[in-house]
Amino acid sequence: MRMNETEKELVEMVLSGRTEAFEPLVTPYRQPLLALAYRLTRNREEALEVTQEALLRAFRSLARYDVSRSFRNWLFQIAANEARDRHRKRARERTAVEDAARDKPPFAGPEAGRERREIRSDILQCLTVLSPREREVFVLRDFEELDIKETARALGCSSISVRVNLSSARRKLREAIRNDFPHLKEGR
Amino acid sequence: MTCRKAKKILPLYAGDDLRPRLLAAVRTHVDSCPACWKELTEYRESMSRLKAAAKAESVPDWSEGEWRALTARFRPADPGEKRPAFLARPRWAAASVLGAFLGLAVLTMLFKDGNLGPRETSTAGEPSVVSLTLVSQETGLQVVWFLDKNFDWKGDEN
Repeated sequence: MRMNETEKELVEMVLSGRTEAFEPLVTPYRQPLLALAYRLTRNREEALEVTQEALLRAFRSLARYDVSRSFRNWLFQIAANEARDRHRKRARERTAVEDAARDKPPFAGPEAGRERREIRSDILQCLTVLSPREREVFVLRDFEELDIKETARALGCSSISVRVNLSSARRKLREAIRNDFPHLKEGR
Repeated sequence: MTCRKAKKILPLYAGDDLRPRLLAAVRTHVDSCPACWKELTEYRESMSRLKAAAKAESVPDWSEGEWRALTARFRPADPGEKRPAFLARPRWAAASVLGAFLGLAVLTMLFKDGNLGPRETSTAGEPSVVSLTLVSQETGLQVVWFLDKNFDWKGDEN
């Protein structure tokens, strides 16, 4: 999916200095971007931050955007990168906290509590059986319907890696639906 | 193709994500193997259920206030914003012009006062020390040289 003429014109306007054209350029993607970030982060506030940062990054680096690509997929790539960066940062912070609290009695911590509260929908619960990479690949390919090549590009990995993770994700999800979410299987 | 090999790649076949060279082989196997056909059907069902559920699921949306706050950041004081032509030039150019202007101002003041060049340091009787002040046009740094008239610079030769 390539960018349409209106988008092309809006990009040219922004690059020529009419920055007010950026808002109509990204408005059609505001909700899909937030939904993507939500499925990747499993938390609304974090998804909002990821989307905001992704849009600001897109604004700053619009001059580097390759117009032969789909604008939507380019935005998705930036958002997925931002979500991954945050996930890594959080994981590092969590490790540091765990190291510091190793000798103390077990305590789930506000992070775990927050995550539990945020996991509301069955879809999100299903996705918890996946590793972060599998989740990224599955969400981009099956929910956002990027093809294998675009998914690989968005995640900065090879098509082989995408296929391996996608295969594993679909296998795990099939098992999860069969064992833990039979109502999804029955379409309820 | 064996069932074992087919089952490995069924998840990709179910979503039409298999490489073309494997497609025909898997199709032939699945059409003739009830067990693999059943598994393929399960994959397709689980995928379509998840997609349908994802579409039906309510995902968060922006409040108008959040969106306005964000889009406001695309306007002023952001890189790429159209700025007056003189501000759009590189910073080093503006700094050079400013430095040259300050240098000229300093030179003008020096000429005006008539004190450019060596200055005699007044001492009792005949002045023996002369000073020379150099001012950098760019940084405003001043270097003052004091030259002693009576310095015996040929002393070593004697």
